[in-house]
Amino acid sequence: MDLLTHWLGSAPDFAVPFALAALGLILTERAGVLALGAEGLMLVGALAGIGMQLALGLPGLSLLLSMLAAALVSLLFALMVLVLRINQVIAGLALVFFCQGLTSLLGTLLGWTNRPVSGLQAVQIWPLSELPVVGKLFEQNPLVYLTVLIFFAVVWLLQRTHTGLRLRAVGENPQAADAAGISVLGFRLAAIVGGAALIGLAGGYIAVLSTKMWIADMTGGRGWIAVSLVIFARWSPWRALAGALLFGGIEALIPQLAAAGVRLPQYFVLMTPYAVTLLVMTWVAMGKRATGSQPGALGEPYIREERR
Amino acid sequence: MTETTLQQTAPPARQPLLARRYTLEIRQQLAWPWQALVIALALLVGLAICTAILIAAGVPASELLNEFIVQTLLDAQNLRAVLFQAAPMIMVGLAGCMAFRARFWNLGLEGQMIWGAIGATAISLFEVGPPVLRLPLMMAAAIVCGMLWTLAPILLKLRLKVNEIISTLMLNYIAANFLLHLVYGSWKDPRDNFPYSPPFKAFERLPDLFAGYNVAIVLALLVTGLTLWFVGISRAGLYLRFVDANPRVAGAVGVPVRKMIIGTVLLSGALAGVAGFVVTAGQEGRLTQSFYQGYGFSGILIAFLARNNPVAATVVALLIALLFVAGRSLQVFYQIPFAMVQLIQAILVICVASSDFFIRHRLRRIQAGDR
Repeated sequence: MDLLTHWLGSAPDFAVPFALAALGLILTERAGVLALGAEGLMLVGALAGIGMQLALGLPGLSLLLSMLAAALVSLLFALMVLVLRINQVIAGLALVFFCQGLTSLLGTLLGWTNRPVSGLQAVQIWPLSELPVVGKLFEQNPLVYLTVLIFFAVVWLLQRTHTGLRLRAVGENPQAADAAGISVLGFRLAAIVGGAALIGLAGGYIAVLSTKMWIADMTGGRGWIAVSLVIFARWSPWRALAGALLFGGIEALIPQLAAAGVRLPQYFVLMTPYAVTLLVMTWVAMGKRATGSQPGALGEPYIREERR
Repeated sequence: MTETTLQQTAPPARQPLLARRYTLEIRQQLAWPWQALVIALALLVGLAICTAILIAAGVPASELLNEFIVQTLLDAQNLRAVLFQAAPMIMVGLAGCMAFRARFWNLGLEGQMIWGAIGATAISLFEVGPPVLRLPLMMAAAIVCGMLWTLAPILLKLRLKVNEIISTLMLNYIAANFLLHLVYGSWKDPRDNFPYSPPFKAFERLPDLFAGYNVAIVLALLVTGLTLWFVGISRAGLYLRFVDANPRVAGAVGVPVRKMIIGTVLLSGALAGVAGFVVTAGQEGRLTQSFYQGYGFSGILIAFLARNNPVAATVVALLIALLFVAGRSLQVFYQIPFAMVQLIQAILVICVASSDFFIRHRLRRIQAGDR
């Protein structure tokens, strides 16, 4: 029982980075830009957040800087795929490697590695936090609640506004969108930068609020898991949220089992998120469900001169 | 009549600079010397950026040339180190080339290297075969293990269309954790407390040819020759080019498309496995916990810069090996983290990838009469 309570209490903490990164990816990919750079942008967000936290110690400001830094670096990606029309897979991979190199270099040179910071105090939502078993769910740091708001904001933006409709049009059929007078490159730029801000926030969350320190390559593939999360959520925010909760739940289970004294081979336990990703991808692919929900122009650069 | 001829012969009106309008055009073809010039310029820009970063990180500008060229190429000991480093680099580069030729994003080079090394180490640990055959057996085990680790992502992609970028990357993390499980667990050297396997015996290590030059580089060049034969001369190579150009047409005229893709990607896994074997049996002399780091990205980078050409890949791999050796020396003498090497590689990739835009597009001034 205690195990269940603690597990439920810690699961949101692990699920939030997945949810934020997946939301950012959905925003970018719905505009037709294949965003493989999430792992790198998360690292940028994480390092920027820790740097600010070490300097001033204001978590809100640190997380804001996480978003800004990732958005800034994503401009490089935008330059590569929108202006220079580089293959989006190559551009995404190059971005990840660039960010990995840059962040571990800066982290070491600036001496930010392994320096603990203070996170955020947990906030209780009073009547709910007194509930038995699930009470701990309502005793989270403010960003967990904010993530719920961000989630609804993004869903509303994508599905209930004109802007969202145009953004999806750009991702489905850029030729038609262009003919209708929608700026394809403008929307794609906005989607890349906006998505990157959310992905950076996910990285900042891991570093500033979860781990509370910087270690080189600390995201450990979570960006890639988010990328696959979006694929098997078939670009739907709701399914992505469910996937984020699943992966958060699995990650949260690992320390809880160890604390409960269950003896498991450590490195096999550390493999589970990656193995589960593979299994879920296989399982979803075997389901033979319609893949029609993939944005029609995902990964294709829009080149007006080649318009047919 | 006279009016039209007048219009044609008259020089276009000179527009003021700010009123000129330009349009982007797609170029049909650019002569190869110009292409080479554009790529060289891109590399130059990349190197300039890297130089600026290195100087900002604290390497004196006057020492850069010394560290990267003089120290690595003109010093016999460091030249040996570069060639030694180049051997696994060439192999992962070729592994990248093979996979990309089959249009398969094999980002699992590191995982396949790890399994190659594990396979080779298993032969050494369990003393399989007589001493004379030990090295060939280790290499064979590395090939088999590297291939097996590649099999799942290929089949998942061909059967179920599972994205191979994700699946190969996930398998990297799984392999890395399994490696840690071995070197911290049952395969740990009982004699001390570090996470590595017991050292290989003398006959289980790649021997030196002469004057300290290791046989590894010869092995790498042999592999280059083999891949060159495979892609350039063999029938399979011809089929592969066909499949790469248009898989549907290739299938329609009877080329075994799936078999070609499976075979080529398995070859890629095998090459990565051999690279793992070369690092463990050559440089390290035992299974260590992080021997593979940096190779996966370098392999992809080499294949990309070499445009999947085996000979070009070998040359690029030599340069990357030089970068690695120089990077280690910077680490020792100027406390520059080794991540610098990765950053430099990433910047070079971005610059060269960008250069493609200038090869394929041109700016043209819109004349007054044009639409």
